[in-house]
Amino acid sequence: MEARARTQFLLFLALLVYTAFNLVPIIWAGLTSIKHPVDAFTIPPTIFFKPTFQYHYEIWVEKRFWTYLVNSLIISGAVVLISVPIGTLAAYALSRSRTRHTRSILFGLLTIRMFPQILLALPFFIMGGYLNLIDSYLIMILAIVAINQPFTIWLMRSFLVDVPIELDEAARIDGCNNWQVFWKVILPVVRPGLVVTALFSLLLSYNEFLFALVLTGSQTKTLPVAIAEYGAEDISYWSLSAAGAVGIMLPIALFMLLVQRHLVRGLTFGAVKG
Amino acid sequence: MAATREAHRLARPRSARVWRKKAVGAPGRSLFLFAVPSLLVLSSVLVYPLGYALYLSLFDYYLASPDRTFIGLGNYTELLSESRFWWSMLNTVIIAGTAVATEFILGFALALCLFRLTWSPKTFMVLNFLPHIITPVVGALFLRWIFVSRWGLLDATLASLGIFPPDWLGDPWMAKVTVIVADAWKFTPFMMLVLYAGLQSMDKNLLEAAVIDGASGWSMIWYIILPTLRPLILFVLAIRLMDAFRFFDSIYVLTGGGPGTATETITMYTYQLGFKLLEIGKASALGVLTLLFVSAMIGGIIFMLYRRERGAF
Repeated sequence: MEARARTQFLLFLALLVYTAFNLVPIIWAGLTSIKHPVDAFTIPPTIFFKPTFQYHYEIWVEKRFWTYLVNSLIISGAVVLISVPIGTLAAYALSRSRTRHTRSILFGLLTIRMFPQILLALPFFIMGGYLNLIDSYLIMILAIVAINQPFTIWLMRSFLVDVPIELDEAARIDGCNNWQVFWKVILPVVRPGLVVTALFSLLLSYNEFLFALVLTGSQTKTLPVAIAEYGAEDISYWSLSAAGAVGIMLPIALFMLLVQRHLVRGLTFGAVKG
Repeated sequence: MAATREAHRLARPRSARVWRKKAVGAPGRSLFLFAVPSLLVLSSVLVYPLGYALYLSLFDYYLASPDRTFIGLGNYTELLSESRFWWSMLNTVIIAGTAVATEFILGFALALCLFRLTWSPKTFMVLNFLPHIITPVVGALFLRWIFVSRWGLLDATLASLGIFPPDWLGDPWMAKVTVIVADAWKFTPFMMLVLYAGLQSMDKNLLEAAVIDGASGWSMIWYIILPTLRPLILFVLAIRLMDAFRFFDSIYVLTGGGPGTATETITMYTYQLGFKLLEIGKASALGVLTLLFVSAMIGGIIFMLYRRERGAF
């Protein structure tokens, strides 16, 4: 008993040290964002200082970061509204039929998910130029739907195959047609899965950088692009960009608490059920 | 094992869940109508643009000049004969390989620790997960503020201890190491989480039996845990490797591919070619080459998974 308690204690300690170490970059940025530059660059770091939210206010209001937040939300929101409904429909079909084709479609989707995205960014950039769509919400939404769709289908399918097929059969015997089975019987059952899928879809679009970098301009710039431009600036802006970065991170921390139980499944597009 | 049930189910050609034709309650062919909207969207925003990229890769197409000339496979031969391409390939392989190996070993060790820990493993998991889930660009910025020379936390700390720090982002080799560390910081939690889920879904009786048979720490890991988790391990390694080949956001923020081209990966090079040098044709060709390379890798991994499927365990 004694030895076991000691092992537990040592494990706990080791993990504590590792975790603290791991979180240093985040904590450091958080502290920088609420320090005056005078306090920010002293070593050892000042522990007692007067926190200020001046930089948070400055970057989000005066430097108009809120407009980028609005852009991010418009784009991510539209992506979820397009991607999740059509993805759920396809996932239902793929979860209820199992032929050779189903399997190749699923593997095909997985391969698409692993695509070098830059190969898609190039034609989007050129076509966007022809159609005069660069720096419009539309092209960003379409591009992200394209890369999001395989993920949505896989994740949603993983929730749908958990619903026993007998439920479909029973409903069908009771006289439902395919659509009624899906809409009235299956969909209510997988509602939690639907929410999780929508949240992950939202996260992916919110975090998207490569397409945003290439396809957005001054009108539609999203948060990741805006902060990447800011963060590269010289040292005097440090507190300011730290405030921006921390602000971008906060909704994600909230997201993580919401989907805690489904993290493994979501991050492996449903293939591993944690 | 719950964790890879999905992979099993996919790999199995005929499943027990297939409806017998004409059985009562079978959905019929019209089920495929459900997939139509998605397929339409996918073909217009995914398949069509990809076809267009393939088409563009056959042209000498400089964006700033109005005309483009058909040169067949000219872009491909040009790429394959230049050293910058091979260097970017090599960089990608080195960075992805080292990073994924580090992440796996560290993640596995952490998963084992968490598995053994009885008190509040969940809290540790959630806290350690933060680096993985935050916006990649933001995460890379956080690291940049640690590694940037002179004013970064690391340099400042070392300097106050009287140690002269190396140039983390400016030295060709050090920059590679830093980029690998950055990737490991972001993706170790992912490995940890997935492997921990795998450990939890293991048969407890198996572990207890091993303990009774006198298996201790290492032999337990080597003979019981690793073989049991093998499908899952192959799976996460596969995903991570494929993702690592698209590695872009962190490098863009941390080094921009520099110093020189020391940390220039294939994706970074494609970005430079297409969006900085405006060589659209050549960039498309590079994208296609990357795709071929990654597909070959996926093919190899699926083949390995598939062969395991018929194996003894």
